[in-house]
Amino acid sequence: MTGERLDADWTSGPRQAPGEGGLAGLVRHDLRILRTYLSLGVLNLVQYRSDFVLSVVNAVITLATQVLGLSVVFGQTTDLAGWGPYDLLVLIGVHFLIGGVLGLVVRPSMEAMMEGIRLGTFDFTLVKPADSQLLASVQVVRPQALVDVLVGLGVVVFGMTRVQASLSVVDVVLSLLTLLCGLVVVYSFILALSTMAFWFVRLDNVLAIFQSLFGEAGRWPVTIFPGWLRIVLTFAVPVAFAVTVPSEALTGRLTYTSALSAAGLALLFFAASRWFWFFALRRYTGASA
Amino acid sequence: MTAITVDRLHKTYLVPEREGGLRAAVGALVRRRRREVHAVTDVGFTIEPGEVVGFLGPNGAGKTTTLKMLSGLLHPTSGTATVLGHVPWERDRRYLGQMALIMGQRNQLQWDIPVLDSYKLNQAVFRIPDADFKARVEELSELLALEELLRKPVRNLSLGERMKCEIAGSLLHAPQVLFLDEPTIGLDVAMQRRIRSFVAEYNRRTGACVMLTSHYMADVEALCRRVIVIHHGRLLFDGALEELVHRFAGDKTINVELADEHPLDPAALGPLVDGHAVERSATGFSVRVPKAETPRVAARLLAGLPVSDLVIEEPPIESVIEQVFEATSAEVDGG
Ligand SMILES: Nc1ncnc2c1ncn2[C@@H]1O[C@H](COP(=O)(O)OP(=O)(O)OP(=O)(O)O)[C@@H](O)[C@H]1O
Ligand SMILES: [Mg+2]
Repeated sequence: MTGERLDADWTSGPRQAPGEGGLAGLVRHDLRILRTYLSLGVLNLVQYRSDFVLSVVNAVITLATQVLGLSVVFGQTTDLAGWGPYDLLVLIGVHFLIGGVLGLVVRPSMEAMMEGIRLGTFDFTLVKPADSQLLASVQVVRPQALVDVLVGLGVVVFGMTRVQASLSVVDVVLSLLTLLCGLVVVYSFILALSTMAFWFVRLDNVLAIFQSLFGEAGRWPVTIFPGWLRIVLTFAVPVAFAVTVPSEALTGRLTYTSALSAAGLALLFFAASRWFWFFALRRYTGASA
Repeated sequence: MTAITVDRLHKTYLVPEREGGLRAAVGALVRRRRREVHAVTDVGFTIEPGEVVGFLGPNGAGKTTTLKMLSGLLHPTSGTATVLGHVPWERDRRYLGQMALIMGQRNQLQWDIPVLDSYKLNQAVFRIPDADFKARVEELSELLALEELLRKPVRNLSLGERMKCEIAGSLLHAPQVLFLDEPTIGLDVAMQRRIRSFVAEYNRRTGACVMLTSHYMADVEALCRRVIVIHHGRLLFDGALEELVHRFAGDKTINVELADEHPLDPAALGPLVDGHAVERSATGFSVRVPKAETPRVAARLLAGLPVSDLVIEEPPIESVIEQVFEATSAEVDGG
């Protein structure tokens, strides 16, 4: 022995150990994990200063292109399937916002998870005393994406001041709820896609395909697409609910049907993807070596 | 109460036999061609709290697979195990909160963020109270000399530095059971020694039970009084380390230095050493004889030859282990 000694308290456990305290204990634990991961991720912003500048440039270019696209369209017409130019600007804002949230934590975490499954480091996610799905979903934070979130918020607010719709408190609450539902739907969808990495170890392209679908189709209200494509965009790649429904709410054109179906679909997608997640975990054998 | 109980544990991997690529993967969905790999077969043992057990076996023996089952990563094909009263693969948070799995080949710390931030994530996950967290980080960083490292992102650390940080990070929640899978792999001798004595101290201080795999016998000799040996997924030996040497090393080596230029006559030497093969060196010879005969042979050599020096050696543990594996390989291959 080299005279090493341990003196700290190594025998006392946590006041509330993981898994204790019933449902309330679990929820509190989950929330603490979520808060810690997100706040640490964002605090590490300084490490990514150059990335950050790049993502500002990127956001500005993307926004400019999209606004330019809008002005071209609205040079020809004043109304696109019932949507005016500022309605569509709100939609672009929502698109930015949701893309930002996905890019902030969901997509980098899912990419890290697929990589982890390939390399075997996913093992460490499973030996932690916490909800595996939660850990896998928040493990990496890419703070640059905050730029998109902020740009999105700004554009939404700007667009809304120009739209003639007057929103009541209820409308605002509904908007936030549908936004949340939209996020849940897309999150569940990405989770389910990524979960397939348990079977197909090389799946890197899947998220890229989703990203381009979301990036291209999500910038327009699904109502402008022909019927069959609308169905695809609603159920197969749930872009519609993520972007269109919250934008409807924000521009005062939300119907109760779409609000309710957004909520229903969010629950359904979430439950299904979670079931699929645990189904996949039972089959997990890890990488050898 | 025993800390770990394992009974008739089996793990069979189904390895799909297919080419790479999505096309072949989709093909494999339709017609599954799979091969069975029996990684662990009928393994059973019990470990008491506070024990440090070496878990030995050649590459592919099933050590990692066993540890993965005990840490809840894998469901066994059949058999049972309880660790601290829990079935590991049920992954009860109350169990996982008292367990740590450390793998020398993989790291769990996040690549891009400073080490200390990864520790803070662990603090949230394991619900470690602030006071304990601070005290333990301080102490571990003192013992393992982490001071300089804690603020660096993991990607900027060397292999050895990373391993130290990994180990410290895995112990912050003061686990009662530790599974160490080749924790010293790739480290230099000084670092190996440091980690070894650290594990010993952790065990002494916390009474945690430790299962350790390593291909470095120095780790095992320093830490483990008891070893469990598996080979081809089967349990081969479970007992004291000396007992392993005693049981499997039937021989000792006698090294003899001769006084002067003695015309060593093989014919005369033969009877002295009971006909065992003699290896000549510049100034003498060495001979391996069965343990029980060592005293007699040594006495005869001393009486019959102008001996200037005579040393009797136990074979090194490495060669004993090697012998064990070779012997059973032949058995398995032959039958
Ligand atoms: N995820 C896996 N899928 C399929 N086969 C696997 C998997 N992991 C291990 N194996 C196989 O199971 C057997 C036991 O492997 P294991 O990793 O447990 O050996 P080990 O004793 O840890 O060896 P080493 O000393 O090389 O680490 C090997 O034949 C290996 O090829
Ligand atoms: Mg191994």
